Parts: sequence; C-alpha cells; structure tokens
Amino acid sequence: MIRHHPDEALLLAYAGGGADEAVSLIVATHMAYCETCRARATQLEALGGSLLQDLPPAPMSSDALQSVLTKLDEIKPVERPVRPVSRDGTPRVLRNYIGGDLRDMRWRQMGPNLSYVPLFRRGAVTARLLRGVPGAQTGPHRHGGQEYTLVLKGGFSDVTGSYAPGDLQMMEGDMRHNPVADPGEDCINLAVTTGPLKFESLFRKIVAPLFGF
Amino acid sequence: MLAYARNAPFPALRRFPRRIGQAWRLPQTLAQILAMTPETGDWNALLCRVAQTRDRAAFASLFGHFAPRVKAYLLRLGATPALAEDLAQEALLSLWRKAHLFDPAKASAATWLFTIARNLRIDAIRREKRPELDPEDFMPEPGTAADDGLAQADEEVRLRAALKDLPADQIQVVELSFFADKPHSEIAEALGIPLGTVKSRLRLAMARLKRVLGEAE
Repeated sequence: MIRHHPDEALLLAYAGGGADEAVSLIVATHMAYCETCRARATQLEALGGSLLQDLPPAPMSSDALQSVLTKLDEIKPVERPVRPVSRDGTPRVLRNYIGGDLRDMRWRQMGPNLSYVPLFRRGAVTARLLRGVPGAQTGPHRHGGQEYTLVLKGGFSDVTGSYAPGDLQMMEGDMRHNPVADPGEDCINLAVTTGPLKFESLFRKIVAPLFGF
Repeated sequence: MLAYARNAPFPALRRFPRRIGQAWRLPQTLAQILAMTPETGDWNALLCRVAQTRDRAAFASLFGHFAPRVKAYLLRLGATPALAEDLAQEALLSLWRKAHLFDPAKASAATWLFTIARNLRIDAIRREKRPELDPEDFMPEPGTAADDGLAQADEEVRLRAALKDLPADQIQVVELSFFADKPHSEIAEALGIPLGTVKSRLRLAMARLKRVLGEAE
C-alpha cells in the first residue's frame, strides 16, 4: 500500500512535459508501483489532449500532407520491444533507463554505511541511486532546491514519517530531516535533487561535495 | 468533404469504442452528415481505422485536424516555425507507425497525440530522454478500481467545457504546466508569485475539474 504520493503540481509537470528528465524518471518509477497515480496522470494527460484540441490551428505548409502521404508506404509499424525480465524486482521503467538491475549497478562506497550510483546530472538537477545499510543516516540537512526520494527496497524513516517501497518523499527548502534506514534489508532509494543539500555537520559539509551532493 | 463523410464514423459509436470496426455504417441522412463536422467527428474511430485497415483517407482526415494543432502546440513552446512544421509531420507519421498501439479505452485520439507530440518535443528540442512507463510493469494494486475506460471521449468533451469555466488565474497555471516547458518553481518565478500559490491554484483547478467529471458520471 503506497502512502506517499507526488503532489498535483509534480504530476502535472510530469504529464505536461515541463518536468526535468530526472524528475520525470522518479515520477514514472513511482507509477510503476502506484496504480492510483497512473490513473491520475492519465487524467492529466487528457487535460493536455483537451488543450491541444482547443489550440488555434497553425496552418501547415501546402504540400505537407502530400509529402507525408508519400512516406507512409515506407513505414513499418513499430513492435513493442521485448525486454528481459528483472531478476531482482527492479521496476522496468527504471531498468530500461539505467540499463540493468539494481544489483548490476556499480555501487560506489561513501563511508562505511552508504553507497551510491550517479545516474544523471544536468545543471543543478541530479539523480542517483542511494543505498544504506540498516541504521545508516544521511545526516541532518535542509535543501537548496527540491529533494525527491523514492524507496525501491527496504525503507527509511524521519520526522515526516516512514517510507516503504513505492513511497515518494518530497522535501524542499527549510524542511529539515535526517533519514535513517529501517532495520532489516538494505534501503535502496532513487533520489533526485534540484539543488544542493545543506548539511549541518561540518564533516558532511566538507565531504558531501566530493560525492557530488 | 465528401471523402471525409465517406470515412467518418457513425456518431453513436462514440459510446462503444471497443466495437468500432465491427459496426461500420454509412450515415443515413443529411443531418447525420452535417453533424459530422470535425468538431464532433470521432477521431478515435478514425484512428482505429488507421490501425485496422491502414486507411489513408482516415489518416488524411486526422492529419488535417491534428497536424496544425500539434504545430500550434510546438510554436507555443518556442519551436521555430520550420521545426514546428517538421515535428508536426513527424508526430503524424508516428501516429501511422504506432496506430495499432492506440487503445481507445485508455485515451482519446487527441490525448494520445498530445503524448506523442510532448515526447517528440522533449526528445528533439530539449534533447532529453522521456522515461516511459512500461505497460508490463507491475500488477494493479488490490483495491483500486480500474477505470471503465469507455467514457474517454465523452470525458474529453466535458473536460474542455470545464476548462473554459475555470477562473483566469487557475487556467493560467494549468496552461503553463503544458505550454511553458518549465517546472513549477520556474513558473512561479516567471509569474512573480510564490510556489505555494501556484500549487494551491493547481489544486483548486484540479479539484474543480474532478468535480465536473464526477458529477457527469
């Protein structure tokens, strides 16, 4: 049962196409777990369809239809790609994007309890996989932008609640938290930030930039 | 016009998108022919004909209606006229290529084409990948009712009416969500209002649209 969902604005940014690539990835991966948000996103796309229908048409060039019609015969219908099944329950949308299962990734150690895989960086927007052993902490921090965290395995808890696989946490600005990995299996998250994290401890402040945080 | 009338769907089929193709009938009266302006034409059915019989006349009708709208959409998002023209043609070629994947129970033709145009734009203009949902990803959660799906085309008509009734400040943030190519934090900056205000306007707009859709069912 998913308890933490993207808000309306985030889903709308996804459906409308305004969201950054990394943000779209985390929303799409959440939807692999969440039937409810898939249905919500479909409704929002219908809004896009409605807006498209109501746009004042911009005339096409006079030979546009003719030139497209002559191309139709060369076109073969696309087949749905057949993709291998994940061996560790990695959602396909994520798997297709990162090119393998979570366990195939090359995890880079960041201290004794935490490891990560960088996935994407464009400007201030980054996406990475984060893995913590039970009890691992990221350390108290606030946010220079938005921070979105989607649980893929295990779980974590902080002042805002507990998060299990499929749950999406949204944090921003001065909201302060210190996520701690729950007991049991390792906690693996997909994490997207649109600005740097602002750590409180001097050590983390110094170390974080070395790992691209 | 004649070509259009010959290929146009029987209007009553709008309610039975799954049965399109089994129940083709030619329009019986002049009134029916006149009723089939592009505004009420069943684009879903035309798209199904493209999928089932590779019907070029149906494709031409869809092109005539949607290509200029896709072009307008791309222009709104800042594409140059030449690029917008190219991508609009590309979008309609994608429609031909992917028509067999179209499911009228899940989306209207306009919505489907919107998602094609949106993804093409992200690909071509922003040079980013669009992470696509994989239909085989995971089973439905227990307890969430699947959409009956039959009402998609009707839903679009009601949505369009409801959109026009929204207060101007709500329409603005909804439109910018689709036409600004910006996350909401930047939309807020551009409008000079706090992000919280953008979000609350979106919430109000969505609540209102949902109410309208809910009431009509």
